[in-house]
Amino acid sequence: MSETSFPVNDLLRRKLQTSLTVVSLVCSVASTLFLLLFSSRMGLGIALVAEDTLTIGLLAVFSQFILFVGILIFVMGAVLTSFIVFLMMTQRTKDFGLIKAAGCPNSLVFGYFMTELLIVTFTGCVIGVLVGFGVDFAVSRISGFSVYQNPANIWFAPVVFAAFFVLALVFGTKPILNAARLSPIKALSSTHYFGLTMGNQLKPFSASRLTGKIAMRSLFRRPTSTIRIILLLAMVFILLTVSIAGSIIAKDTTTSWVEKTAGKNVVAIAHEEMAAQYEILQSKFFEAKDEGGMFDYLNEKIAISNETIQQLKALSSIVNVDARLILKEHVYEISNFTIDPETLATFPVGDKREGDSLIIGVEPMDLTGSWFLQGRFLENGDSWEGVVGDSVARKMFSKPLVQSLRVQNQSFAIVGVCLDPIDNGKVIYVPIKKLQQITGKSAPNIVFVELSSSIDRVAALKQIKERISGTNQRLTVIELDKVLGKSLVFLENAWSTLMLLPLFALASATLCLIAYVMLAVDEQRQEFAILRAIGAKPKTIVNIVAVQSSIVLASSLAFGLSFGVIATLMILVPNPVVTSFTILQIATWLTIAVTGMFFLSLAPAVKFARTALLRIMT
Amino acid sequence: MAVFIAKLCKIYEIAEAKVEVLKDVNLNVASGEFVAICGASGSGKTTLLNLISGIDKPTSGQITVFGEDLIDKDEDFLADVRCHKVGFVFQSYNLVSTLTVAENVAFPMEWTRKPVKQIEVRVSELLETLGVQHRANHFPAQLSGGEQQRVAFARALANDPPLLLADEPTGNLDAHNSQKIIDVFRMLKANRKTIIVSTHDKQLLELADQTLCLENGSFELQ
Repeated sequence: MSETSFPVNDLLRRKLQTSLTVVSLVCSVASTLFLLLFSSRMGLGIALVAEDTLTIGLLAVFSQFILFVGILIFVMGAVLTSFIVFLMMTQRTKDFGLIKAAGCPNSLVFGYFMTELLIVTFTGCVIGVLVGFGVDFAVSRISGFSVYQNPANIWFAPVVFAAFFVLALVFGTKPILNAARLSPIKALSSTHYFGLTMGNQLKPFSASRLTGKIAMRSLFRRPTSTIRIILLLAMVFILLTVSIAGSIIAKDTTTSWVEKTAGKNVVAIAHEEMAAQYEILQSKFFEAKDEGGMFDYLNEKIAISNETIQQLKALSSIVNVDARLILKEHVYEISNFTIDPETLATFPVGDKREGDSLIIGVEPMDLTGSWFLQGRFLENGDSWEGVVGDSVARKMFSKPLVQSLRVQNQSFAIVGVCLDPIDNGKVIYVPIKKLQQITGKSAPNIVFVELSSSIDRVAALKQIKERISGTNQRLTVIELDKVLGKSLVFLENAWSTLMLLPLFALASATLCLIAYVMLAVDEQRQEFAILRAIGAKPKTIVNIVAVQSSIVLASSLAFGLSFGVIATLMILVPNPVVTSFTILQIATWLTIAVTGMFFLSLAPAVKFARTALLRIMT
Repeated sequence: MAVFIAKLCKIYEIAEAKVEVLKDVNLNVASGEFVAICGASGSGKTTLLNLISGIDKPTSGQITVFGEDLIDKDEDFLADVRCHKVGFVFQSYNLVSTLTVAENVAFPMEWTRKPVKQIEVRVSELLETLGVQHRANHFPAQLSGGEQQRVAFARALANDPPLLLADEPTGNLDAHNSQKIIDVFRMLKANRKTIIVSTHDKQLLELADQTLCLENGSFELQ
């Protein structure tokens, strides 16, 4: 028997165990590669879509999210691979002892098993990479997702292959080395088989029933493999929690940011040319639009007269009138110094960046809402203070809250950063009186009015239209809800695409769990056969596996859920919005996921229970 | 009639070959009777016991155990028969390695939903009778072959089944341990337990009321 023919023949004869290990490895490598390809395409997709849309702050939330999920996917795959090979080689400890007991030299036995490990790992990783690309190709053909228009990053293939191959070798070699150190008698002993610990360490559970007893013992007496599967599933649940909870929380949070900028029951009134321009500025959040040349915000014909404002204020259906002056200006960054609170040393902040931005003059007292991410919004008594949109803050300032900006030789201290879909966050809010002072223009060019919630909206709008047409025929009403609706649909679609990741992660995790249960059932095959031969019904076997599966799932869920929620709330989304409905949504998704995984994990046990008893025993 | 077998056939299909292990076997075992089955290796002894216990299904023929017809019955029904009416002692003991000796004996009783106290009393009684009470909290891997075989007997008798099947119970044991097992059979025979045992052991064959020899899949009366 040659040194290479033995491992090959041995693997071929142990078809079930070899194919289980190879299939598990293939699942692990393929799902990791596919998920990485998918998330890179989605990241690229969102980046491409967002080049002229989305504010920079929102884009950062998306990018951070995809990066974090990508890292989790890779770690999950790595843990799974190491677990599978560890399990496979630990199961071979008895064979190792058998061959040593027959007189085979240690080095030769080590060579046999290393060759087996190499063959299985190489085959699993190669097929896994091919299957990963195959699934990616199939999904692109079947689904027609828009993200599939972006090219796949093929460099993931060698990275995943190399990383998983090395991991598999490292983790597979460890049990071989452990077995090599064992004397043949210990390797053959069932108390050393598969990490089984000595029985005296466990007292009988006198009160518990048979099913629970066998299930618990099987788990506790294989601490290494149990801990590894719990660790693996915990990684899966962190990934699921981050993907599901993160997507829902991030969606709710970003939606609330965008909703706050419009306010409830608010409509805008402007000259029809200004109205068209305002709609372009708003729609830049969800579609790239050309402004069609420089718009003249200071043109007298688009100004709204004081008479119109007074007429609106006189209407009983209107509870608040918020007149604004919008214009485009060249803005300069003003650098500053800040003090390190620990060393009290001063250091410079900022540079001399400049760029165009929308400047919106508002009366803080009349604002229909308040929206900010950092610092505060404008308040009564503010004069040379300003609030910058997140795109301006990220592009032009290092530490906006300790810096100032200059518009037409006047400085405004930045007191807050807001997220505003107008002009994709390239916006600066300042007090209207100061803007009027530096531009010399007194009339506002847009008015926001808040309708009373107790009156009929259609009737109120009709009344407003009649009143404004009396002062200026070309004034029109902009229904902000419609444009806001489009922005929210865009955000919803972006997050919905991201929600595909937990779906794929869930499928991959379920495969991992099924692979584990298949290996566990295979390992307990003889014992289950004895139970059935003595008179246990097939459902008893399913019950034992169900108890094991639920213990493993519950432990890993508790671990994964805690870390997942912490990661989501503390790292991924700043100022998260978490309502009781959000929690209900997350709980529902996770419950569906866990229940689905639980029932699918029973499939190998159900199949086993249906197998003819004699076939199992022999 | 404890066991009634008529025209029993069992054919195994291995690859494309057909191996006829049992051919038109007929057997009647009365209640309380001790039947010994002998025969060379591969003569079909284990297959016959597997068929009587419902572990395996015949190709054709009839098997009735205490009035229960075993042909074409589902796994749940057969499991009930094995649990309540048949005790099986396997040649290779087949103890559950994750359960202690006491638990191995107790678990067939747990399926019958007997009270815990009653189970404890029965386990203690059986282990004492079979001389392994000092091993009650040990795991099977920590026992000798003889001790494992006696635990297997205790487990088979746990639910006090009217029929005991034993597949070469002394085949793996030394003379000393074999004698202990034969003493158990003697005690069971005295208690009028119906027993079918496959064996080559001279003492067991002498103990039997009826000895049958399987040869090429058919009985030859001794």
